[in-house]
Amino acid sequence: MSLLTVNHLSIDFTTRDGTVSAVSDVSFTVDKGETLGIVGESGSGKSVSCYSLLGLIPMPPGHIKNGTAIFDGIDLLQANEKTMRQIRGKRISMIFQDPMTSLNPYMRVGQQIIEPLLQHSNMSKTAAKEKAIALLEEVGISDAANRFQQYPHEFSGGMRQRVVIAMALITEPELLIADEPTTALDVTIQAQILELIHELQQRRNIAVIFISHDLDVIKRMADRTIVMEKGHIVEQGNTQAIFDAPTQAYTQKLIASIPNSAKPEAYRFTGDQDSHFLTLNNISIAYGNKKNLFKAVDNVSLTVKQGEILGLVGESGCGKTSLSHSIVRLVDIQQGEICLQQDALEKLSIAELKGKALKATRKDIQMIFQDPYASLNPRMTVFNTLAEPLRLHGLASNAEDIKNKVLTLMQDVGLEARWANKYPHEFSGGQRQRIAIARALAVEPKLIIADEPVSALDVTIQAQILSLLLKLCQERQLTMIFISHDLAVVRYIADRTAVMNQGKIVEINDTESLYQNPSDPYTKSLLAARV
Amino acid sequence: MLRFFVGRLLQSIPVIFIVITATFFLVRAAPGGPFDAEKTLSPEVIERLNERYNLDAPMYEQYFDYLGHLAQGDFGPSFRYTNRTVTEMIYAGLPITFELAIYAIMIALVIGIFAGMLAAIKPNSAQDYIPMSLAMTGICMPSFLLGPLLVLVFGIWLQWLPVSGWGYSPGDKILPAITLGSTYAAYIARLTRGGMLEILSQDYIRTAKAKGLPMATIIIRHALRGGLSPVVAFLGPAIAGLLAGSFVVETIFQIPGLGRFYVQAAFNRDYTMILGTTILLSCLIVLLNMLSDLLAVWLNPRLALSNEKN
Amino acid sequence: MIDSLKEYQNLNFEQGRSLWQDAWYRLNKNKLAMLGLYVIIFFVVVSILTPWLAPYGYETQNLALGASAPSAQHWLGTDIHGRDLMTRLMYGGRISLMVGFAATAVSLVIGILWGTIAGYIGGLTDTIMMRIVDILYALPFMIFIILLMVVFGRSLLLLFLAIGLIEWLTMARIVRTQVLTLRKQEFVSAAVVTGLSHWQIIRRHIIPNVLGPVIVYITLTIPSVMLLEAFLSFLGLGIQPPQSSWGVLISGGVETMEEYPWLLVFPGLALSLTLFALNFLGDGLRDALDPRATRD
Repeated sequence: MSLLTVNHLSIDFTTRDGTVSAVSDVSFTVDKGETLGIVGESGSGKSVSCYSLLGLIPMPPGHIKNGTAIFDGIDLLQANEKTMRQIRGKRISMIFQDPMTSLNPYMRVGQQIIEPLLQHSNMSKTAAKEKAIALLEEVGISDAANRFQQYPHEFSGGMRQRVVIAMALITEPELLIADEPTTALDVTIQAQILELIHELQQRRNIAVIFISHDLDVIKRMADRTIVMEKGHIVEQGNTQAIFDAPTQAYTQKLIASIPNSAKPEAYRFTGDQDSHFLTLNNISIAYGNKKNLFKAVDNVSLTVKQGEILGLVGESGCGKTSLSHSIVRLVDIQQGEICLQQDALEKLSIAELKGKALKATRKDIQMIFQDPYASLNPRMTVFNTLAEPLRLHGLASNAEDIKNKVLTLMQDVGLEARWANKYPHEFSGGQRQRIAIARALAVEPKLIIADEPVSALDVTIQAQILSLLLKLCQERQLTMIFISHDLAVVRYIADRTAVMNQGKIVEINDTESLYQNPSDPYTKSLLAARV
Repeated sequence: MLRFFVGRLLQSIPVIFIVITATFFLVRAAPGGPFDAEKTLSPEVIERLNERYNLDAPMYEQYFDYLGHLAQGDFGPSFRYTNRTVTEMIYAGLPITFELAIYAIMIALVIGIFAGMLAAIKPNSAQDYIPMSLAMTGICMPSFLLGPLLVLVFGIWLQWLPVSGWGYSPGDKILPAITLGSTYAAYIARLTRGGMLEILSQDYIRTAKAKGLPMATIIIRHALRGGLSPVVAFLGPAIAGLLAGSFVVETIFQIPGLGRFYVQAAFNRDYTMILGTTILLSCLIVLLNMLSDLLAVWLNPRLALSNEKN
Repeated sequence: MIDSLKEYQNLNFEQGRSLWQDAWYRLNKNKLAMLGLYVIIFFVVVSILTPWLAPYGYETQNLALGASAPSAQHWLGTDIHGRDLMTRLMYGGRISLMVGFAATAVSLVIGILWGTIAGYIGGLTDTIMMRIVDILYALPFMIFIILLMVVFGRSLLLLFLAIGLIEWLTMARIVRTQVLTLRKQEFVSAAVVTGLSHWQIIRRHIIPNVLGPVIVYITLTIPSVMLLEAFLSFLGLGIQPPQSSWGVLISGGVETMEEYPWLLVFPGLALSLTLFALNFLGDGLRDALDPRATRD
């Protein structure tokens, strides 16, 4: 007898452009004490189907067209509000993706944790508080009695997620739905939280539905796995079996997209090992005033060879973005020297450039940004976005030439030329990132700084963009600094890798050597945290 | 938090000082002396008057003199009503204006928040459209139009309520309070609706629902505090607007409050009276603005933090 | 790969739909907002053409007639001096609308400049500039305007200058917040990296993206300015005879409302209708231009 049986679930959403089917004909079961993983890319309907179980999708625009979800004899989709309230938070709890927004900022953490307990039992406030403090300690929050009185903004991201977990478990539910619970967290924190969820589940024998876009996380957490695509279940079964021998084409494609190999031989760096194309000498970058100085980058030196891809890895706040921004002069350095080799003799000191010289150098160094939704001006067509740098640097002689160059660029990055007059919001995330890449290439730069260019993208799109970048770098003999928090991605694309922590580069080596034999303890901990 | 409170308090001191100084010199800079309008006065009389009101002294001396008196709560004599001091008139008028403003703000808050909540709980339904249409009417029906219309309908045609006065006959406070409060009720309704809808779409409301809390608890415990923060932020400007609105309402209903005195003083070019009331009302508004800021911070602890960082 | 120009000249380009077109499309579906737009256009056109359209002269009196109820000769009746109310409403509307538009324009220019500079430069400049706005915000401007009108006499120019000088504060705040957010957007960083000058960035990347909220604010400022003018005129501290505005007419109508209610009702209606129209249009524009609506 399964704890939860979902049959033929179909959900529609009414949008401006008509009715969209978000979930269609989804059936699955969850047994007591097991972990069911649901994996899929954005828009696969994985979250919507689980939210509907607790009546958490807004209706309208949502609409449950069909299906049943039987939990202990009760159909969750048909039950009235009163019945549902006795199940929500008591027998089925949820953990949400973003711990920054899922706690009420106006309320003390403790009050929020004991709220489900007070709602669902006759327990006194004192007893609830005692239980909450014990649970907070169990989820790894030290000094719980004091932290009980604090507001969410006084907690770090990882700590907040621990609070959310404690809040979900305090009523000892039978089923826990975890929606991307570690997506917003750093790798090392992610490993801790996953471990915590796993431990608690074992100890309490709860059933867990674990939703994630991250196949590695699902592989590690789930007993059984469901693969979803565009509202449909593509494949389901034993996790090991699915990952070892996927039967469906989509699952195969998904698994093949996970970057888990070394850089392809054909794309590896073959240039001059002694090249000093870009040299960073003792760079320091600090923010804030004298009283409250924060050193984002602390005395960093680095050499980039002409034609190589250098990976720069680190967790949030490690200084990798500040460092990359200093090379394109988006932030100023307080100390040190950044030199770009022009030819055999001449070197440019980037930090000292001004006016025309700076503008000329900007042509040589371009940047690709993280968020393809924010990195394109929403009011400019693709054509204008790509034509702007061409006109600015006088790279085209006339209107025809500009048109020719823009359309060629579009084709080079895999966009159809006939889309030139469309606006960014009419494209998907992956297509937008292609536009951003084309914009960076428009001025024919020598060096490209790519700041987390694939971390906002789905895994299959990510694989496409990565191979596009590899191909373009080789064809155009580009040098690239590739910044990422994702070790697997960097391993796949970078010739050499530098690891940053707290403003310093702790280790730099050939990518494969670094992965096989890390020497620095921080690098080791990063690699160990991989799931 | 305390640092923010003290800082905010200290900040309003220069503002009040600027108000006093600017008002004083503006009034003194008026083209022509205060007695120019009376063409019948002989030069000797004017001289005597100038002497009496210390208008012969150099400007800076007059200014410091005035500041000195102000510090003692003395606004000086009235230019127009020679037997009364400005302080006396303020004493007579201020409590009435205050009472009116308090009634009006109560009406505005109670009706506004209630209507806004109704609308926010069920957006895009009749429960939303009806109160919001009324709110729109309230905004487009300014007090100087609504007041006379209410008088015409309830005072003259139906004869249900007195058309003027304050505290002379039963019910004569009803129409002025409604007239003054209605616009603000309308604004508050719209702000409440917007604020509540914003908060109700937050992730942590979804968390609260997932806990199995009933809707009423979610709204009262989780949504109200954040949802009403736009209303709290609006209280300062609203009070400033109410005080200015009292000019019109007190004129329409012939209420002997500070607002009516001010308008009369403006017509009579009674400079000391204008000066005194402007300074008093300005300081009041600055202080009330500050209070509403403090209230907003008290309701949202994160604001103090971000303010201190700046 | 496109090798020759000929190839793409035959290309069938897909026409994109800009955010402006999107917003216009959504606005068109909002009947109340469109009605508001038509009413505003109607009032503006009538105001411009008043000297040719008005059925009577502005000062034409018919003392023998006196105050008369609406009739075939005088559609909206006449006032106590026997002047045609419709004519006076049309001329009054010219002033009311002019004050509304002109004062909003003043606030627009100052507000956009101030807000853009503060938001774009940021840092200490921003702090100082916005502190000034904060301090001015705390001042009771309504009282100051009355003071100004008393001290310097009641002139139209002073009136809309004074009103414009209050309203720019909100405009500056709105623009500054927008610019600050945009400045941190990656597409602006991309523009810097491309090598665009500050002026080019402001013109091509910042201003077009600030315009939406600004347009909404303009539609909501015009009615509040018109209200302010009417408020002052009602007290007798704004527009002075022989000039007239809707506020002045309402004020006059109140005095005789018991005997001649139409002298209050029609000017009140004209003012309220305009305010309704502008507010509906503003609300509609806000919904139509809301970026959140476009994301989904």
